[in-house]
Amino acid sequence: MLASLTLTACSGDSDEPSDEPAGDDDVAAEGAEITLWLAGGDTPQELRDYLIDTFAAENPGSTLTIEEVGWGDLVTRLTTALPDAANTPDVVEIGNTQSPTFTTVGAFRDLSGIYDELGGSDLLQSFVEVGSVDGKQYALPYYFGSRYMFYRKDIWTAAGLEVPTTLGEFADAVAQLKTDTQSGFAMGGQDWRNGISWVFAHGGELATVDGDTWTSTLSDPKTIEGLEAWQSIYQTASNIPATERDVAYWDFLNDGTDGAAPAAATIMAPGWARWSLGDLTTNDAGEEVRDGMADTNKWGIFGLPGVDGGLAPVFAGGSNIAISAQSQNPELAENLLRIIFSEDYQTMLGQNGLGPGNTQYTSSLGDDEFAQTMMDTAAASKLTPAAPGWAAVEAAFVYEELFQKIAEGGDVAALAAEYDDIITPMLNG
Amino acid sequence: MADTLVRAAPVQATGPRRRAGSRTRPRSGPAYLLLLPAVAILLLGLGYPVYWQVVTSLQEYGLAQQFGQPPEFVGLENYARIFAEDDLWAVVVRSLIFCMVNAAATVGIGLALALLMRAVRPWVRLVLQSCLLLAWAMPMVAAVTVWRWLFDWRTGVVNWLLVQIGFDGYAGHNWLAQPLSFFFVATVIIVWMSVPFVALSIFAGLTQVPDEVLEAARIDGAGPAQTLRHILVPMVRPVIAIVLLLQVIWDLRVFAQIRLLQDSGAPVSETNLLGNFIFELGIGRQDFAGAATVSILVLLLTVLLSWPYVRSLMKELS
Repeated sequence: MLASLTLTACSGDSDEPSDEPAGDDDVAAEGAEITLWLAGGDTPQELRDYLIDTFAAENPGSTLTIEEVGWGDLVTRLTTALPDAANTPDVVEIGNTQSPTFTTVGAFRDLSGIYDELGGSDLLQSFVEVGSVDGKQYALPYYFGSRYMFYRKDIWTAAGLEVPTTLGEFADAVAQLKTDTQSGFAMGGQDWRNGISWVFAHGGELATVDGDTWTSTLSDPKTIEGLEAWQSIYQTASNIPATERDVAYWDFLNDGTDGAAPAAATIMAPGWARWSLGDLTTNDAGEEVRDGMADTNKWGIFGLPGVDGGLAPVFAGGSNIAISAQSQNPELAENLLRIIFSEDYQTMLGQNGLGPGNTQYTSSLGDDEFAQTMMDTAAASKLTPAAPGWAAVEAAFVYEELFQKIAEGGDVAALAAEYDDIITPMLNG
Repeated sequence: MADTLVRAAPVQATGPRRRAGSRTRPRSGPAYLLLLPAVAILLLGLGYPVYWQVVTSLQEYGLAQQFGQPPEFVGLENYARIFAEDDLWAVVVRSLIFCMVNAAATVGIGLALALLMRAVRPWVRLVLQSCLLLAWAMPMVAAVTVWRWLFDWRTGVVNWLLVQIGFDGYAGHNWLAQPLSFFFVATVIIVWMSVPFVALSIFAGLTQVPDEVLEAARIDGAGPAQTLRHILVPMVRPVIAIVLLLQVIWDLRVFAQIRLLQDSGAPVSETNLLGNFIFELGIGRQDFAGAATVSILVLLLTVLLSWPYVRSLMKELS
């Protein structure tokens, strides 16, 4: 609410919005203020400062304002702000799977003119595709993430367990580690974003497209197999209620208060969870922080193994970035994209643990175990269906409900058929 | 607000004041003129959104239309489509029951607290009133967040207390997982937040009951229960009626508390009330036409529920 008020004030002051698109050159010459909406706190402050400073230096007289919108509000805020020339942010970050909802209704500016300049075929192609309509690019990859397993090596070792090489071994190990007070593998029942890894691992899909028509494929035998595997692992290894989602799993893996035993032996989380894990230590500013899993005898990571070995495809998180079709300063907005896709900024993304949108700079992630596991799991990862109605499915919490019912022990085949009927019409918008 | 209500009450209940009102009738011209700004603001503030709502409910209006495509007039198709959904009627029934239970509980507890305030010493009353005001002044998001923590499955005080007094089954019990216990928590929160207004309004009404009447009743041998039933409640009936009406309207439109509770994990489609259903249709699925259609239904429901009161109010005035 506050942010939108500020936004109104900003655009009212300097952009002088009008019904017809402003002459780009005039605006650039006069100097203007453009707004970038970043989703959630994923982009570190250092990178935000870099964008603001570099933009001001390269576009004398113009300024960049960065506003943060929570992931949960993003689609809502974009739905109301983007069509409104007076209030639209100029550049927006959007979850990769949310992109089709907006690209298909013409909410974003056609970027095909500057596509090659911004990296072209070097950009992460699965993200480019999800942001394209009829061969034209509207939303480009900002960063990718991946998720892998974090585990308590001390607990696994004490139980005589090794890093598993197949999904079946993983299921057995975490079932063995479960006690009344410790989840072998902590996972909430509604947590489908982690849960669909089991669907993907068994060769299943959430939905398929034929021409323009999307069909939910939960009843596909492979999908059912994956869902049943997930049901079994939830029931045998997790103590977390079936209603939980978006849990701060790292709290479960860390030691409890006063060195009490942790509430979980294994969790699945995005790579940046590392900085919420480890033993307590004091940073330069004197604040109590986690040491990022410094003790390698106590902490470890591995990629979720596949059914027959190798790596299971996990759901790749990540964002696209786009320019609002109603932006009053599209030239300046494109200048901002040039900064974002520059080698400097892409490298900074990598150094901060976010997979750069331009694959040329992937090496900036580093070469330690974390970077390697992230790149390996990202290479094997998959996206959710790029259907026009996908954002609507997410907003209605349909998969949360389905996964909760499966976690509670429901009949998977019957639930799959029931939810196919619900999801298919929603997917097609 | 409580003050206005109290002053309004005797106007309806007593004769002489009504005559005082009618004496001003010859000068009603300026009165109508003074009403004009209020009516104009109402028309602007309420009329336009309602007009837009009605128009949208008769169109095909989704995300594409939001981004500039001309909407197409489809007549009553949205109504046919939405009313055919079983979901809608489940939500309507759920909302009505929830609204009635909450409104009744709120007014009941509010009346009890008001009587308590009348009975206790002044300093106790002051403490009670301060507590009520604090509960009422608490920002809603903050209040719901604290309640969520209290009922948290892992670290919540409620589960801890229940385990301490011997109910071991409540260790790690998730209150929000099942619709019934979800609505129990929601009811606790909503009643807690609305009781202060009701209690203070009714208490203000009670202070207007003349001592002579109560004394006369006492001399005639009326016990506390009889005094309550035959003297106090009838005399503050107008206040009770209006707070009950307001409560019904507010509880029918409850949205944020449910939404905030759903965010901490609950089966969403089984815990949706009308407000949440509209939000999910409009904002979640970008079916703005469908959301407008349900909104019109809620408007009609509200009119229907408040009609008996409005009619009796009109009868009093005429």
